[in-house]
Amino acid sequence: MPDPIRVLVVDDEDRFRTTLVKLLGAQGLFAEAASGGEQALALLAEKPFDVVLLDVKMPGESGQEVLPRIKAVAPGVEVLILTGHASVDIAAEMIAGGAADYLLKPCPLDELVGCVRAVYDRRKAVGAG
Amino acid sequence: MKAETPRADPASAAGEPASPPAGKNRPLWLHLVGLPGVTAVAVLSAMVLPIPLAVILALFTASLAAWSAAALASRIRTSEQERCSLDAQLVQSQKLAAIGEMSAGIAHEINNPMAIIAQESDWMTHLMSQPQVTPENLAELRDSLAEIVRQVDRCKAITHNLLNFSRKMDPILQQEHLERIMEDMVLLVEKEAKLQGVSIVRDYDPELAAIQTDVPLLRQVVLNLLLNAFQAIPGQGTITVSTRPAGADRVAIAVADTGAGILPENMSKIFNPFFTTKPPGVGTGLGLSMCHGIVDRLGGAITVESEPGRGAKFTVTLPR
Ligand SMILES: Nc1ncnc2c1ncn2[C@@H]1O[C@H](COP(=O)(O)OP(=O)(O)O)[C@@H](O)[C@H]1O
Ligand SMILES: [Mg+2]
Repeated sequence: MPDPIRVLVVDDEDRFRTTLVKLLGAQGLFAEAASGGEQALALLAEKPFDVVLLDVKMPGESGQEVLPRIKAVAPGVEVLILTGHASVDIAAEMIAGGAADYLLKPCPLDELVGCVRAVYDRRKAVGAG
Repeated sequence: MKAETPRADPASAAGEPASPPAGKNRPLWLHLVGLPGVTAVAVLSAMVLPIPLAVILALFTASLAAWSAAALASRIRTSEQERCSLDAQLVQSQKLAAIGEMSAGIAHEINNPMAIIAQESDWMTHLMSQPQVTPENLAELRDSLAEIVRQVDRCKAITHNLLNFSRKMDPILQQEHLERIMEDMVLLVEKEAKLQGVSIVRDYDPELAAIQTDVPLLRQVVLNLLLNAFQAIPGQGTITVSTRPAGADRVAIAVADTGAGILPENMSKIFNPFFTTKPPGVGTGLGLSMCHGIVDRLGGAITVESEPGRGAKFTVTLPR
């Protein structure tokens, strides 16, 4: 059996984080959560993750500010933006900054999981090739 | 085929000339010269001509003058309208910018609780698809349901606050003592405040006469300021409410607290819709922007002073 995909959920909404971790677990993924940029960076320095689900509007550092720091700490990790903030400008800016995709909350679970698997497969293909 | 025909300009389609009617293009000075000119002709003709002829000519020139005056007036109106419509366009584009900002804020504030509701539903579906429902599963199901209700309440708080923005603009004025309006709201929060170690000090001016104001609107302002003051105090503290005359024709009410205060960099943002420093679900960022809107409508002003770490004081001045 292949290793499960390791996902890090970064979101300031407590309930959103904890339930998403449970849901991803039920889908056969390994998920952990961080409430903000600092905690996420500490976790990324500690252990490997494949995909980060990153919120944009958070107290303290915003998703835009955290994104380059994530890429610096864990260059191989794929970052998916998952936010309630509907801004084309921010989406474009973050994808230019290295994010793999931009998903708008509320995002159906199968779509989210599909997207996580897709960026994971793409990364593996690139890594192998 | 149909799609290839260019869409016709409705004006040219109706057979109207492309250029505006000639009268509208006459320079303004022609009207100004014309007006005293025709009047002078009428006066002169009355002096030299036989009476019936003079009367006819005078009537004719007078109607000419009247026409000229009317044209001048409409001309001035038009240019005034043009200026007004330019102002209106400016206001409109500012409004659109504000609506854009506002929509992004609303979308964000509603999308987050919706995402939680969707996830809780997914989790409930997952639990119910298990071969058997254990007591633990049942407890989780209950917990998810309760969370959904909480998030619906959160959405409700946002949409209800927005409805206050859209309320009819004309305040309904009635005579009331400021002290009464404040005290009604103080009593509402005082019990909870006491439990949390926050005491409320009254500093009302007993001499202050009743004013003409929209009581329900002003109550909302006071309640929002009290809630903010209460939320700004982390442990024990004091909220001071006061009323004062402010010059001959104005009065002031103030809500001061001994809480965390406001950082200088946030001072310019706190009245913006959706600006909040509170955690999600606690702050909507609509309270102060609503206060600002209401106080504006009542012909007053709202100001704030704060020393970070020492507290904040919001003052509302109103016409008497
Ligand atoms: N009395 C106060 N003391 C300190 N900060 C305040 C006070 N009142 C308002 N603020 C600041 O202004 C922000 C906006 O207030 P408001 O519009 O009422 O929204 P909310 O209370 O939902 O955050 C608050 O999040 C807080 O940062
Ligand atoms: Mg508030």
